[in-house]
Amino acid sequence: MDALSVSLRIQPTSAHSSPDLDVEAGRSWRCRKATVTVPQGDHGVNSPQGGPNPNTWAWRWRLTTRRACTLLRAPEAVPTETAPSTHGACASSRPAPDRDGKGRAARRRTQSRDGRLGRRRNFRGPGLWAVGGRRDRTRERTEASAGSSLRVSCRRAPRRRTLSGVLAAPAVVAVVRAVAWLLLLWEAAELACKSSAALAAAHTDAGIKASCSEIILRQEVLKHGFHRDLLMKVKFGESIEDLQTCRLLIKQYIPAGLFVDPYELASLQERNVTEAVMVSENFNIEAPNYLSKESEVLIYARQDSQCIDCFQAFLPVHYRYHRPHSKDGETFIVVNNPDLLMYCDQEFPILKCWAQSKVAAPCTLKSKDICQWNNMKYKSVYKNVTLQVPVGLTIHTTLVCSVTLLITILCSTLILVAVFKYGHFPL
Amino acid sequence: MAPTQPWGERLLSLRVTPAGVFGVAFLARVALVFYGVFQDRTLLVRYTDIDYQVFTDAARFVTEGRSPYLRATYRYTPLLGWLLTPNIYLSELFGKFLFISCDLLTAFLLYRLLLLRGLGRRQACGYCAFWLLNPLPMAVSSRGNADSIVASLVLTTLYLLEKGRVAAAAVAYGFAVHVKIYPVTYILPIILHLPPEQGRDPSPRASRRSLQAGWRAFLTRLWDRAVLLFAAVAGLTFAALSVGFYCKYGWDFLEHTYLYHLTRRDIRHNFSPYFYLLYLTAESAGGLALGLAAFLPQAVLLAVVSFAYHRDLAFCCFLHTAIFVTFNKVCTSQYFLWYLCLLPLVMPLVRMPWRRAVVLLVLWFAGQALWLAPAYVLEFQGKNTFLFIWLAGLFFLLINCCILIQIISHYKEEPLAERRKHD
Repeated sequence: MDALSVSLRIQPTSAHSSPDLDVEAGRSWRCRKATVTVPQGDHGVNSPQGGPNPNTWAWRWRLTTRRACTLLRAPEAVPTETAPSTHGACASSRPAPDRDGKGRAARRRTQSRDGRLGRRRNFRGPGLWAVGGRRDRTRERTEASAGSSLRVSCRRAPRRRTLSGVLAAPAVVAVVRAVAWLLLLWEAAELACKSSAALAAAHTDAGIKASCSEIILRQEVLKHGFHRDLLMKVKFGESIEDLQTCRLLIKQYIPAGLFVDPYELASLQERNVTEAVMVSENFNIEAPNYLSKESEVLIYARQDSQCIDCFQAFLPVHYRYHRPHSKDGETFIVVNNPDLLMYCDQEFPILKCWAQSKVAAPCTLKSKDICQWNNMKYKSVYKNVTLQVPVGLTIHTTLVCSVTLLITILCSTLILVAVFKYGHFPL
Repeated sequence: MAPTQPWGERLLSLRVTPAGVFGVAFLARVALVFYGVFQDRTLLVRYTDIDYQVFTDAARFVTEGRSPYLRATYRYTPLLGWLLTPNIYLSELFGKFLFISCDLLTAFLLYRLLLLRGLGRRQACGYCAFWLLNPLPMAVSSRGNADSIVASLVLTTLYLLEKGRVAAAAVAYGFAVHVKIYPVTYILPIILHLPPEQGRDPSPRASRRSLQAGWRAFLTRLWDRAVLLFAAVAGLTFAALSVGFYCKYGWDFLEHTYLYHLTRRDIRHNFSPYFYLLYLTAESAGGLALGLAAFLPQAVLLAVVSFAYHRDLAFCCFLHTAIFVTFNKVCTSQYFLWYLCLLPLVMPLVRMPWRRAVVLLVLWFAGQALWLAPAYVLEFQGKNTFLFIWLAGLFFLLINCCILIQIISHYKEEPLAERRKHD
C-alpha cells in the first residue's frame, strides 16, 4: 500500500512535460519532475525530541529528485488497422492526458486530504465508473466499428491513458477485487460440497463417531556406522480412549544385508528397553550378505508417553559385510515398511476402518498363547528406509594383493635373515 | 644409569617381595571384577566381554543336560562350559574369579620357571611383575575372556618339561591343544628340545656338520624314548578328549571347536594384513590359492625358528606364537596375550637397552592405535576407510617385524653349563 500511496501522491508541479524518452524500442515513456507530500501520520514518525522525524524529510527529499516516469501504451499493442491513425489522432490529443492527469491529480488531492478511507471511496467511484465508462466505450466501438478510425482511436486514447502506467488505477483494482470475490465464493462452494459429501459419507457409516483418519507410521534410523537403531513411531489419527486397551505388534522384515542379534534383544528385554523377538531361526551372525537370508522380528510396541495415542518401537540392527563393488564405495540396503498388527481386548468398530486381514502371533512376548491380530493398513511418512553400507572396491584388488604379498614376503625374509644371522643352529 | 644398561636390571632396583606383588595383583583384579559389575548395571556400554555371556549361556545349556553348542557363536571346548557351570549354581562371577586364578597361576609358573633358570627371587619377581601388574592381562581376565586358561596350560607344560616330567607335560600339552589350537606349533621345538638319549648328545659347537647329516640326526631323534613318550601321551590325551566329546555332542563339537578355527576366513576387519585381500577375493577362485600363499611364510618361519632356538624352549615358543599371530589371516587383540604370557621368560636373556625397549613398546601401541582409528570410523561412523585399515594393518605388520628382529638380534643365549646344573 505504501508504494501505491507514494505513486498516487505524485503531483505534477509544472505543467510542462519533458519530451518522451524512448527507454526501450517500441515503448515510450513520459517523464515528469514530481514532488511528494508526506501525509501526516504515515511515515512521519516523530523524533523523540518532538517535531518531524529528520529521516522522513530525507525520504521526501530523495523522492523529489526522482523523475517519475509513466509508461505510455506501446504503439504495437494497438490493433494494426488503427495503428497509423492512432499515431496521428493521438498526437493531436496529447493535451488530453494532461487534462486527465489534472483531473486525476485533483481527485488525488481530495483523497489525500480525506485520508485513507476517503481515498478508497474515491477510488471505487471513479474506478467503477471508469470500468463502466470503458465498457460503454467498447460497446460504442463495436457498434461503430465501421465508422471513422479517428474517433475510435481517440476514444481509445483515454482508455489507453487510463490503463497506462499507474497500476493503482481504480478500474483495475475494481476488476481485481471482483475476481477475488468470485474465487472466494468458488472456494467456499467447493468446501461446502466436500464437507457435505464427507458428512454424507460419515452418516452412511452407522455407529461411527467421526470419519476414519489414517494411521501414520514414521520410521527413523538413529546412530551411524555398522550399528544402527531402528525407531518406529505409529500415530493414530484421532484420540480414542479405547486405544488404551489395545496392543500394537510390529512385524518387521529384516533384509539379508542386516542382522539382529537375538541375544542383544534378550538383554534389552531384561533391561526393559524394548520387547522384541526374532521369528526366524538358523541365522549366522557373522556371515556376509550374500550368504544370508531375510529374517523377521516381532516387536511389541509401547505407548509413547510424549504423544497421545502414539506407539513406538525400537530395534537395534547391525550391518553385514557386503560384496565389494567395482566403482562405488557404498551400497544400499532397503528396509521395507513393516506390518502393523493390532489386538484389542474388545471388538471396536473403529478397527473396521483399518483392519485388512487376520494374522496369528503370540499374544505377548513371554506367553505362548496365540492371538488373532488384525493387520492394519496405514500410511507411511517415508516410502521405505534406505541405509548406506560401505563396501570394498574391487578396483583395489590388484594393488592390495600385490602390495600385501610383497610386504609379507619382505617381512618374513627379513626375519629369516635375522634368524640365520643370530640363531644358534646345531648344524 | 647408562642407556645401555639392560632394562631388566632397572626393574631390580625396586624393592619388591613376591608375596607383595602377587597380593597387589590379586587385589587389583578383584577390584576390576567388582567395578565391572558396577559398570554393567549402570552404564549402557558393558564392561564384561560378550564372550563371557556366551560362556554363561553355554553353561546354562550344560546344566540342563543339553549341548553347549546350542548357543550361537560358542566356538570353544565343552570343557569351558563344564567348568563354568557354577556360574549358574553359585554366582555369575565365578567364571571371572576362575580366570583371575588362572592368571595368577600363570604368574606363579613364570616365577618358578625363572627361578629354575637361575635368577634370584627379587629378579624373578621383577620380571613377573610385567605380567602381574600389566593392565592388559588384568583387563582381559576381569572382562571374562578365557585366554588365561590356555596360557596357564602352556606354562604348565613348559614347567613340567623343565622339571623333566615328560608324561605329565604331555598331558598338559594335550589339554592345551584341545582348548586352543595354536600350541600345536610347539610340537616341533618340544621334540627338538627333549633331552636326547644318553650317548647321542649333539654338541652345539659341532656346527660344521653337513645339512644331510643334520637331517639324518633329526630323524633319528624322532625315535628317542622321550620323544615317543611325549608324542604318545599327548596324542592319547587329545584323542581321548576329542572322541569323548564327539560321542557326546556330535559333529557340532568338531565343527565349532576345531574346524571353525582352522578354516576361519573372517573377512571382517581385524589387525591382520591379509584382511582386505581376503575380503576382496572372498568369492573368486584365486582366493583359495591366496590363502595358501599366506600360510607359506608362517610355515617356513616356524620351522626355521624351531631349528634355531629349540634349546631355549621358552624363547622358541615365544617366537613361534609371535610369528604365528603376526602372519595369521585373522588377528584380534586377544591373540596378543598368547605370546605376552611368555615374554617374562624371554626378558632376562634379551639384552636390550631400556630406552630401545620403551621405544619398541610405544611403537607397538602406536601401530594398534593407527589401526583402531580408521576401524572406528568404519564401524561407528559408516565411512569407507577400507584402504586406510589395510594400510594400518600393513604398518602394524612392519612394526611387529621390527620388534621381532630387535628381540632376535639382542637375544643372548646363556652358556650351556649354567643351564645343566638345574637338572
